[in-house]
Amino acid sequence: MNSALATLLSNPAIWRGDDCAPEPATLPSGFAAVDAALPGHGWPQGALTEMLIEREGIGELRLTLPALLRVQAQGRDVVWIAPPHRPYAPALAAAGLDLARFYVVRCHDAKDALWAYEQALRAPECGAAFAWIAAHDERVLRRLQVAAREGKTWGVLWRRPGQRASASAAPLRLALAPRLGKLTVRVLKRRGAELPQPVVVGGLELISKWGEQPEYLSWPNEGPQRAPR
Amino acid sequence: MLWVCLYFPSLALDIFARAWHDEDAAQQFVVASGGNAPKVILANDAAREAGIRRGQTISAALALAPDIVLRDRDPSGEAHAIAQLATWTLRFTPQVSIIAADALVLEIGGSLRLFGGLSPLVTRISNGVKAQGYQAQLGIAPSPTAALLLARAMNAHSIRDARELPCILAPLPLKLLDIDADTLATLAAAGVTTFGQAAALPRDALARRCGQRFITTLDRALARSPDPRVPYVPPPCFSSRLELPVPVADIEALSFGVNRLVHELTAWLSARGLGAVRLSLTLTHEHYLQQRGVPPTHVPFTLGAPARTPAHLIGVLRERLARVALPAPVEAIVLESEETAPLAGRNLGLLPEDEADAAQVPLVDRLRARLGDDAVTLLAPHAEHRPEKSDRTRVARATLQSKMPARKVHKDSESLPEAPRPLWLLAEPEPLQHRLEHAPWALKDGPERIESGWWDGNDLRRDYFVAETPDGAIVWIYRDHRYGVDDGEWFLHGLFA
Repeated sequence: MNSALATLLSNPAIWRGDDCAPEPATLPSGFAAVDAALPGHGWPQGALTEMLIEREGIGELRLTLPALLRVQAQGRDVVWIAPPHRPYAPALAAAGLDLARFYVVRCHDAKDALWAYEQALRAPECGAAFAWIAAHDERVLRRLQVAAREGKTWGVLWRRPGQRASASAAPLRLALAPRLGKLTVRVLKRRGAELPQPVVVGGLELISKWGEQPEYLSWPNEGPQRAPR
Repeated sequence: MLWVCLYFPSLALDIFARAWHDEDAAQQFVVASGGNAPKVILANDAAREAGIRRGQTISAALALAPDIVLRDRDPSGEAHAIAQLATWTLRFTPQVSIIAADALVLEIGGSLRLFGGLSPLVTRISNGVKAQGYQAQLGIAPSPTAALLLARAMNAHSIRDARELPCILAPLPLKLLDIDADTLATLAAAGVTTFGQAAALPRDALARRCGQRFITTLDRALARSPDPRVPYVPPPCFSSRLELPVPVADIEALSFGVNRLVHELTAWLSARGLGAVRLSLTLTHEHYLQQRGVPPTHVPFTLGAPARTPAHLIGVLRERLARVALPAPVEAIVLESEETAPLAGRNLGLLPEDEADAAQVPLVDRLRARLGDDAVTLLAPHAEHRPEKSDRTRVARATLQSKMPARKVHKDSESLPEAPRPLWLLAEPEPLQHRLEHAPWALKDGPERIESGWWDGNDLRRDYFVAETPDGAIVWIYRDHRYGVDDGEWFLHGLFA
């Protein structure tokens, strides 16, 4: 490229359609493929991220664990609001999370949960706030987004299976789905150009022999069987 | 040694009037002596303008101004107020004494440098007293007795040299000293009414007629003899009551009084080097309702960590109070400390923004205040083989946190299982049966035999597997072998989310 043109293009006032808008602060996700797809090469710190998961148990939380560790390393807390199941302490501790800086908030109703989520996003001591709330109201989402920006908090709004939302104020929306035993991340919305291809996340395997030929369990014979070769 | 005396001439009135807003000052307000023929003890400015004077009978005062607010004098309330003010002044000096029922003395000679000299310190003290709703007259002298005299005489000069004292004290009337009425009468009969006249009399004769104590008082005032004072020690527990001027039915209207009490509490906490952990606020309802059996409303609240910043405590209380439904109007507020923990002093920030940051109410406290004490929990792994029992939930609380030493956490992490554990554990294991009908599930890892708990009746024998469902989810399942090996049912127990 012409050097004069390169100088011109390096001007921060010029934005090119094929790259992403600069993110003020990001949190490396720990997965190279995911970082490459995210504006600013990481989860946005100070914005709402909406995660639409096809079903539970596909590695959606494991995807966020390295970033949560980084949040705690910064000396900030992690807050989970209204989780749908019991967050299991042995697994969290095994992942390296400091459980003294990990708060689980249970709420009686959705209104309390939304209030708590906004407080958590706004709080300077909270670095990452996850919430499992069925919030679809445009104004509510906008409010949460403003709170996340003010508190410089990474807010993740989990959409459980079946909770489809159309428009959203969250600047980052991802759809997570399993494909051939791997987690894939499709970027539905980001501050930047569209990314048509889903990203395949490697490195989420639970055990080393993951790829080996497994046994199969079926009904009615109910016993583990070696699969036919 | 330099002493400052805080004399509260209108203490009997201030203990009631401080619960009022500024705009209520126009209300004529009188404190009466009580008893059969009550007399006016003190009247506020508005009442004095209407012609009400000290010593008038209440019926005369009512004839002058029928709308006056009347309260009987409350000696125990006054004593409490003086003690609270003494606690508050401990922030300026460690040496505080209650010298009279309505006066305090503070030794400030050692604090001058810290507070940037005499006049900034005095300004701080008088502004602080005013902010708490009291009116004080200050006297500054090298001896406590002289400081008291000057404060009562409204002498604003600060005397730093004891040699000036005879000249300054000479014109002051003797009745300003705390001496008995007989001595005063004896001296008055002899034409001795001022301090200077008494000090000029021959000491031997004066001692014979008025007693050695009178001579000692004179010497102490002139800083010629030692003037020991019993230092004030703040009480071990905090409890303060504020009477509201009119019964209040609205929670919002309580905040003014609550703020006053919280400031008293924080003064007590910093005097004792403590932070509040558990507090209780009691709202007393109107007297006639109490007799009908309406109980006072208790608002207990617990903090996530020991705290003594007024903004923090007020913020938590406001959230907590917003969720209280008042059964009846409130007449008085009582704030008590139920549990405290040592809290070291904090270095002040270099820049004003540091302070603003620190004043924010911690998130955990705000959440707990509104959602309930057990809404915010911390998790911890627990050394136990049975998956349902191998974690512990505890309420995020200051005392519990400090009881858990780091060493123990380390031990827990050593006891973590080798095999993978799911991030989500289902509340109840779900039977698998029909889920397996359509397509087989792939067993990726296992079996991991967990057999434990025979001693408490919740025994189990299970083979755990990591499995992949046909639709791509990774789950934690087990086969129940409680009733024999290899014929039990399959259950879903966790999700590798």
